[in-house]
Amino acid sequence: MTLVNTLFNGLSLSSIILLTSLGLAITFGLMRVINMAHGEFLMIGAYMTYVVQELFSKFFPEQIQSAYYFAAIIVSFAVTFALGCIMEKFIVSRLYGREIDSLLATWGISLILQQAARSIFGTQGVNVNAPSFLQGGLNIGSCTFSYNRMFIIGITIFCMLIIWAVMYKMNFGRQMRAVMQNRPMAQCMGINSKKVDMITFALGSGLAGIAGCSVALLGSIDSTVGQSYIVNSFIAVVLGGVGSLTGTVLGSGIIGFASIIFEKYTSSSIAKAVVLLIIIVVLQFRPNGLFTIRSRSLDE
Amino acid sequence: MKGIKKQGNNITFSVIVIILALIPLFYSMGVISSTSTIMFLGKCIAFSIAAIGLDLIWGYTGILSLGHGLYFALGGYAMAMYLKLQATGGKITEFMHTGGLTELPMVWRPFTSLPASLIMMILVPAAVAGIIGYFIFKNRVKGVYFSIISQALTWAAYSVFIALSPYTNGNVGISEIKSVFGSIKGDANLGNLYLLFYIALAIMVVIYALSYILVQTKFGKLLVAIRDGENRTYFSGYCVSRYKNVIYIISAVFAAVAGALFVNFNGSITPSQMTISYSITMVIWVAVGGRGTLVGAVIGAFFINLCEYNLSSGELVNIWQYIIGAIFTVTILFFKGGIVGVVRDNIPSLLSKRKGVSR
Repeated sequence: MTLVNTLFNGLSLSSIILLTSLGLAITFGLMRVINMAHGEFLMIGAYMTYVVQELFSKFFPEQIQSAYYFAAIIVSFAVTFALGCIMEKFIVSRLYGREIDSLLATWGISLILQQAARSIFGTQGVNVNAPSFLQGGLNIGSCTFSYNRMFIIGITIFCMLIIWAVMYKMNFGRQMRAVMQNRPMAQCMGINSKKVDMITFALGSGLAGIAGCSVALLGSIDSTVGQSYIVNSFIAVVLGGVGSLTGTVLGSGIIGFASIIFEKYTSSSIAKAVVLLIIIVVLQFRPNGLFTIRSRSLDE
Repeated sequence: MKGIKKQGNNITFSVIVIILALIPLFYSMGVISSTSTIMFLGKCIAFSIAAIGLDLIWGYTGILSLGHGLYFALGGYAMAMYLKLQATGGKITEFMHTGGLTELPMVWRPFTSLPASLIMMILVPAAVAGIIGYFIFKNRVKGVYFSIISQALTWAAYSVFIALSPYTNGNVGISEIKSVFGSIKGDANLGNLYLLFYIALAIMVVIYALSYILVQTKFGKLLVAIRDGENRTYFSGYCVSRYKNVIYIISAVFAAVAGALFVNFNGSITPSQMTISYSITMVIWVAVGGRGTLVGAVIGAFFINLCEYNLSSGELVNIWQYIIGAIFTVTILFFKGGIVGVVRDNIPSLLSKRKGVSR
């Protein structure tokens, strides 16, 4: 029974890491922009959930209170999508091909966004009440599967399916991949690469917003909430192999399950360190991650 | 004119050192109102040393480390533990007692004497950096991958330091310590403060001189070659990973020395000096001052910290984060050379223009 619980916890943690890394897999993996403000987009998503909840409790009758969460998902996505557009237009678009500079410039943005959150919502954390249909859990035998964790797993799968559909089934996805693989050629084919860049970056940011929305169910929200998820997400993307969605899924899975398994034997902070060390050792043997896109070029 | 242009960086550095050396005079004249400002300038000297180390590896070699906070804190903890054990006379400290330890743990044994502590202060960060660097550089992990791994390592070390609270006092860190020369607080201990301040200044000058000599040598030229064309350097027959590893160790040691000095002025060290954001703050100093020039690192460290010191005491404390974020982003986007770069690009042409007019 404890095994089932461990597996469920591992799956739950993996899905959270995966949800926070999906956006990164797009901005970092495809666009080669290291968005350090990704964690802050996640924070904005979480705060949006809180704002929508407050608005609902003021203006809507008791019966449809729980519906706030679905509205919150949409609002979080929309707000972070819009912010992603703005940020791409004014900052990121100047930094293509300068990976390290993109990391540093977006760190400045992340400082500004964190302070903005502190100015608006205060330094104290705020709490989101899980909607009534997500409270409690499913009991099977002696195991409890809490509904909100199952819901997050569901959202993660849903987001993955959407991304997969967008990237591989839709015309936009084809354009996106074309621009990322060979920009001048794609432009010659009549693709508006600036527009594609903007929407791709905004999509990645919007996914961070949805991730923030689900993270809000798990604990209190403050201005540093993004920072606690971002390191794991970056590592998951690097471990999986930059540019590969399958790799990101696998990378998140490895980090999630390994953390839960080590936590059973030691404290959670030691487990964190052990997992990271293992990953660094793995990266020694496969410096470009588990799934790599092979290329003959000397410098990628 | 040509000489000034060539030696401009060193002249600027000398001016900074002379101003700092005159600080006691300023204090007696009343320009500086309190000793805490002198202590703060001492911390700035420590920050500049860390910035020089970071500049060597980032500005010259092109490796962005987001984990220098780790080495800064390692040096800081080594010094802090020595000072703490001086205060307790080599007995176990209070927090170790609370943590359930009955005698001084093996790892802290060497820190009862000053020479051993100083050796450990250099040796431990050098060993850590050497091991990490050896594996990472040998396997040609580079660019942003190195940055992400270095930040993850710092994060791991941070959680370990918090988890091992019987040894490190967890979140609180090691606090309430005096400097190497005894207490430096208040007017009564002004002599101690000046002594410490001048020693810090001397260390900064030595480190600047060492780095200056280093970047002038063939080794330094190779670092720049690695930055500008890593594969070409490989093809020319140099073992790039070894050079990278050596410079990584040197910059880690500089960061550790900086941490040790910082503890003397600050009187405490906490794991927050080990966080990712603190490490990136160091990168901000170098970027704003001007990467790739040693004096840029020093200017950046002083400029950012003095701004913060003056702004964050008043009502502007909330705005400071906005300002620093904006400065940093704008610097990266538009002024790659930082303050030094702007001055170097614009002043000579301005001067020659004025000459042209007068002629």
